[in-house]
Amino acid sequence: MSDLETVRGLAHAALDSLELSRERIDDLNVYPVPDGDTGTNLTLTMRGVVEALDASTTTERPTLAREVTRAALMSARGNSGVILSQIVRGAADVLGAAEAVDAQSVARAFRGGSDEAYRAVRTPVEGTMLTVVRELAEAGETTPHLDPPGLLAFLVERGEEAVERTPEQLDVLRDAGVVDAGGAGLLELVRGLAAAAAGEPLAEPFARRYKPVDHEAVHHELSRYRYCTTFVVEGEGLDQDVLEDGLERLGDSLLVVGDPTALKIHVHTDDPGAALTLGTTAGTIEGVEIADMHRQTEQREERLLAALPGGAARSGVVAVVAGDGNRRLFEDLGAGEVVEGGQTMNPSTADLLSAIEAVAADEVVLLPNNSNVVMAAEQAARVAGRQVEVVRTESIPAGLAALVAFHGERSARENAAAMREALANLATGEVTIASRDASTHGVAVREGEYLALLDGTVVSSGAAFDEVARDLLERLLAEPRDVLTILRGHDAPPLNGLLDELTARHPELELDVHEGGQPHYHLLASAE
Amino acid sequence: MDESGLTIPSDLGRITVSPGAIAQIVGRVAAECYGVVGMSLRTPGPARDRVTRLLPKGKPSRGIVVRNVDGAVALDLYVVVAYGLNLTEVAATVRSQVAYEVERLTGLEVASVDVHIQDVKRTA
Repeated sequence: MSDLETVRGLAHAALDSLELSRERIDDLNVYPVPDGDTGTNLTLTMRGVVEALDASTTTERPTLAREVTRAALMSARGNSGVILSQIVRGAADVLGAAEAVDAQSVARAFRGGSDEAYRAVRTPVEGTMLTVVRELAEAGETTPHLDPPGLLAFLVERGEEAVERTPEQLDVLRDAGVVDAGGAGLLELVRGLAAAAAGEPLAEPFARRYKPVDHEAVHHELSRYRYCTTFVVEGEGLDQDVLEDGLERLGDSLLVVGDPTALKIHVHTDDPGAALTLGTTAGTIEGVEIADMHRQTEQREERLLAALPGGAARSGVVAVVAGDGNRRLFEDLGAGEVVEGGQTMNPSTADLLSAIEAVAADEVVLLPNNSNVVMAAEQAARVAGRQVEVVRTESIPAGLAALVAFHGERSARENAAAMREALANLATGEVTIASRDASTHGVAVREGEYLALLDGTVVSSGAAFDEVARDLLERLLAEPRDVLTILRGHDAPPLNGLLDELTARHPELELDVHEGGQPHYHLLASAE
Repeated sequence: MDESGLTIPSDLGRITVSPGAIAQIVGRVAAECYGVVGMSLRTPGPARDRVTRLLPKGKPSRGIVVRNVDGAVALDLYVVVAYGLNLTEVAATVRSQVAYEVERLTGLEVASVDVHIQDVKRTA
């Protein structure tokens, strides 16, 4: 059989297997958005691959691999389809280049598919299709002795275990009482491949081992109502339609199943009492369960809400900042308390202490953001009534860079360590006005002229702001840098010309420019 | 365009959610969206128009603009997508995931989610 015929046969079997389980997989779909289309999306994606193969005439293995990759890309539907297209790409890259298609190269194809799939996401969520493909790749690497049909059969078994573990890995699945839909779909696809490779017919569609989807799965539909209410009505000649009509007016996600002697009711409503009343009017009720859905999803919400400033945080930040724009920046980045102060208006230890006490978290990280404030900060930390870590930032841009590494759910000590690390690769600079004549580090400085400092050392001086600022910014970019942050001072000249020049000279650089509004420093900058 | 906080009426008073807080939620959701490998600071136009409120690298709310349109949330996301993916589908998924989570977590209505693919990157 030619490569094309073999691949065609495998792809058809994979598609058939998906089609058989499509509805079950749709029902499992509660993550990332419970829109019940995972099975359909995977099927449509796979169908595109099959159609391309049916139309293909190639005899070259590399060309065949490219055609399959392209078909998967073009026909990818939905989140699961996009992930599948990446898996197909990775696998096709390996098989297209393989000398012979044996168990070793099939195992490498799974590894290729897994690696390619993980490449396209910043924060992979475990307990999903990604986990299942990775575990298949790992399983494939442990069994070098099998032939391709043997390997695929083995992978189906390991895949079933991986899919069954997904509720332990992802809370939203466990709460809904389902396995991951994308992972389950991938397994059905591999099941189809295994059957075709072994020359066997497809097994029964629904693997009996899976718990069927029940009421729990509906909980994650977007519901405006608070209480999930279930109960059974018993009686004689119960009219399902009448009950449905009444319940429909009370909420959504309505499900009424059973026969005229017993009906099981499920409804999401803000008024569970009214739902029960409808039940008692029709017959006798039992097995009443009322669950607060807001609580059921609390865990996941907590995780996401931990990003909010002050939201259920373990530690918070106190920052000493000058300038309205800078104050807003610090607040937007999650600083709990901002104390006004800087070069010439140092906050007192008492000011810092009251800010520390005002933070709505157990522990505090304190950012002095000026060398003149560091001592007062350390004094305040020693006498404060709670755990306070001082990260000795000596400028506002350094404080911002440190704050980016802060996460409220970590302790102050852990945060301080991460924040100090973030500062290690940071270069900071400032442009100010010289208050007297001086000569430092070989630079002659005259009172009233602009003066640039790089990491605290004078590097240039002159009467023209643009020249001094340009010199400083180029020094900051002497080493390759990704991002240049600029905070424009309260009485600074316009920066337009300088910024246009910078963009032209450093096309890859990301410029992050803010109206800082700080006094004394016409320009504050940092490069990372 | 209104950049003030968004208000949820309740029996006991008004609850105001700041655009910054919404941006942080959006950032976390976007980081988990399949295909999104980064957020971009680059917005169209010359440098002087880029005096934005977009935030530093690494922070979740970078590349996200939150606006208040008649009490509903309008979002713009500036994203970098992994090379070799179906961009239309990735954008559609980001849009539905973000709208779903913002509505679910804040109770605010989402008027629009505009996804701007600023760059496509090969990732190692």
